[in-house]
Amino acid sequence: MAAAIDGVFPSTLQELVKKAKVLVVGAGGIGCEVLKNLVLSGFSDIEIIDLDTIDLSNLNRQFLFHREHVGKSKARVARESALSFNPDAKITAYHDSVTSTDYGVNFFKKFDLVLSALDNRAARNHVNRMCLNADVPLIESGTAGYNGQVELIKRGLTQCYECTPKDKQRSFPGCTIRNTPSEPIHCIVWAKHLFNQLFGESLEDEDISPDAADPDAKEKDEAGGDAEPKADGQEKEKGEESKEEDKEATANGNVVRINTRQWAKDCKYDAGKLFNKFFNEDITYLLRMSNLWKTRKAPVPVQWDTLLPDGSSGDQKEVAKQHHKIWSIEECGHVFANALKELSANFLKLEGDDTLSWDKDDQPAMDFVAACANVRSHIFNIERKSRFEIKSMAGNIIPAIATTNAITAGISVMRAFKVLEGKLEQCKAVYARLRPNARNHFLVPDASLPGPNPNCHVCASDPAITLKIDTKRIRIRELRDEVLVKTLNMLNPDVTVESNGTILISSEEGETECNEGKLLSELNIVDGVILKCDDFFQNYELSIIISHFDAERDQTLFEVVADASQLKPKEEEQKKEAVPEEKEDAEQKTAKKRAANGEGDAKDDGPSTSKRSRPTEVDEEDD
Amino acid sequence: MGVEMDIKEAGVELTEAENELYDRQIRLWGLESQKRLRTAKILIAGLCGLGAEITKNIILSGVNSVKLLDDKSVTEADFCSQFLAARESLNTNRAEASLVRARALNPMVDISADREPLKEKTAEFFGQFDVVVVNGETNEELLRIDSICRELGVKFIATDVWGTFGFYFASLQKHSYVEDVIKHKVVSNPDKKKKYETVSIPTQREVDYPGYSAWLDFDITAPSYLRKLKRNGPGVLLLSVLQKFRTTHQRDPSYKTRAADLELLRGIRDELLPNSDLTDEALGVIFAQISPAVAVVGGVVAQEVIKVVTKMEAPHRNLFVFDPETCAGYFETIEAK
Repeated sequence: MAAAIDGVFPSTLQELVKKAKVLVVGAGGIGCEVLKNLVLSGFSDIEIIDLDTIDLSNLNRQFLFHREHVGKSKARVARESALSFNPDAKITAYHDSVTSTDYGVNFFKKFDLVLSALDNRAARNHVNRMCLNADVPLIESGTAGYNGQVELIKRGLTQCYECTPKDKQRSFPGCTIRNTPSEPIHCIVWAKHLFNQLFGESLEDEDISPDAADPDAKEKDEAGGDAEPKADGQEKEKGEESKEEDKEATANGNVVRINTRQWAKDCKYDAGKLFNKFFNEDITYLLRMSNLWKTRKAPVPVQWDTLLPDGSSGDQKEVAKQHHKIWSIEECGHVFANALKELSANFLKLEGDDTLSWDKDDQPAMDFVAACANVRSHIFNIERKSRFEIKSMAGNIIPAIATTNAITAGISVMRAFKVLEGKLEQCKAVYARLRPNARNHFLVPDASLPGPNPNCHVCASDPAITLKIDTKRIRIRELRDEVLVKTLNMLNPDVTVESNGTILISSEEGETECNEGKLLSELNIVDGVILKCDDFFQNYELSIIISHFDAERDQTLFEVVADASQLKPKEEEQKKEAVPEEKEDAEQKTAKKRAANGEGDAKDDGPSTSKRSRPTEVDEEDD
Repeated sequence: MGVEMDIKEAGVELTEAENELYDRQIRLWGLESQKRLRTAKILIAGLCGLGAEITKNIILSGVNSVKLLDDKSVTEADFCSQFLAARESLNTNRAEASLVRARALNPMVDISADREPLKEKTAEFFGQFDVVVVNGETNEELLRIDSICRELGVKFIATDVWGTFGFYFASLQKHSYVEDVIKHKVVSNPDKKKKYETVSIPTQREVDYPGYSAWLDFDITAPSYLRKLKRNGPGVLLLSVLQKFRTTHQRDPSYKTRAADLELLRGIRDELLPNSDLTDEALGVIFAQISPAVAVVGGVVAQEVIKVVTKMEAPHRNLFVFDPETCAGYFETIEAK
């Protein structure tokens, strides 16, 4: 309540703080700290929004919440706690998503300043657009571990949140996951796919069986003849029906696809049978693709009966609780059997087509992935990891501590003072780091305040992007869901073809349903076509120039290129990027430059295969 | 993680509840660090806003115990940043007034209050702690506590915030720690394009920190230092001005006598170093303790305490300054004369 006491602040700042109306987006690690700083500084008109509820693992840093608040609304409890610090403040709390259509441009226009303390890129992009539209200054912040970052975003003056490309989520080629894993993460991704094949929403690009069409295996095999060895061992075990499907699937390079789930059910989820299929028969099959193992160490299949001659009696439940221990393969076998029993029971209880969804905090689901990932790592001579470490990787957990959040939120509100004083040009981005730079700075302001990127696909005056896309393989539905919504962060877009005004996608329900299943090329959306996209709610218009390319195997089916002039010279490079090693290098470089994204954990299910384009950013858990 | 630690400190396993509560930080600094934190006993003297911030962060980290020491009462100015004291506690003892909310932050930490004056505390008292953090206080008193702590091998941090400006001085004596050194390792096959992987190798280091007297002996007007002062901004000069004010007037500048005290501050500034970059404007934001600045300094100090206790990562050596104008946070290395 500094502003309420005469003489504490210089009088101009005192008046500005007293009068200001501010919005805090997010009541997590940074949000709690920001709210405290605001009420104590004497801000008296504050609104705060967060859709999340309080979790036990929040309490090591989200200090406005205590054990008795677990399960309650973050925004509401934060309001109560902050009011106890300054009962004179007026705080409005919304337990809601900031992307809800209840909070339109007029809502944002009410505020002198917005402080965002979010933990995921989708919401950040949205708030960025709303603040640009409403022309309200936005102080954007994020932390990850020891790293923190605060930056001012103001229309016309600074870069917006989307002016610079953000790091992509790490993804892996399908054949690395299915045939030739070399790192623990490959086995963890495979194990999560296995979970989905058995119990979850089964996705086409999450196949776990050997990939017979692996170009690595094929090239040389063509000379030698048989590129696709028969997996007769498996076929014998299964019925006539699945044989049919196998054949069909083999044409896509996918041996034994669709009915892994049915087959497991038919086996009554017998731990030994399932274990042998995934860790013995499939591996034996891989071994027959001998070209794969000329430069790599060959995998060693594991057999259930050899591993556990007495089977798993189910009384080794304590093993799974040893989160920091690296389990032996035998122990993995026990954990596998126990988790399988629990998961299958849960799965069989579901009605209709319902599936389980993988969650790092669901004990049997996490046990299952930890055990399967480690068995596979063992087979491929990869270092095994503890359940604790696997959980980090599988769940994309971003570590978070109180001190970094306090420092970052402190800087946010220091910047808020400057913004109110109209000293926007002084609000250079600040980065918090564990270790100092060469000049002994570890809270480091940027040297300059970068202006808007004229090619930004969001804040430029007439934004346009080039979309490299395989128009022969992408359907209108995917254009909307994967490209416009997930990648370009629109909420409910309308799309017309520029040349003739045809409505391709409508935000009105049912209006363009007939288009949804069609390929872009079928609707004549081919190279050179310009699409006009309009998101009414975000007041966001974007031109998309279609640039067709024939995606190769394991290549993403689309890519957004913000600056069209970069397209041509870059084409060579982009082809190279399909080679995963180089891509990672490039990512590591940008990762070093970019700072923290968000506080909290990934809601998204972590690294994925890159065969199909998926949302590429790290979406942390609301936190 | 993965660093060998003395077993006597790190031997006891964390409970399931601790693992759950501290999950997100264990993922950052590892199990061994968390176990070390659990054994640490910390003294926070001076429950001003800054004291409250440090207390909050330290308690959340999961140390063994925190003693809150203060003989002063809660004042109106405390409500600018001292969130542990409730409004109703005005004029009651600041340490005691902070207890209820401090305990609610983390029931696993043993928290107690002591209302005796710091001046009356002797070596026996300071010897109970692993780290002693003192907020406020005169240079004379800081020097006394520092020499006691150095005698006992207790790590000492002196810190303060005036308005939006803050500092700390770390007197850590001989401090050994482990830090991860990043190296690049070739991981590609010999016939393929070179691919590197970064590996971090835990490395043991030891650094000697001079005592608080090193700062008192430091001459900011020395020609060798002036260029640095110019480059980093006037933070260190401002610290000298404010400490001089405190020594001379036996109090801090007060918002109640804002205009008169600003006059006094300008006088001290011009006497110490004429024509400096320390503007009148910068002197205008040094009253009471302003919450966001206190959060920054309190966050930095608490992180240093955590580094000291866990013996992980290099603590900054040794004088930290937060510049509220630019939000830069940096340190100067002050050597003993």
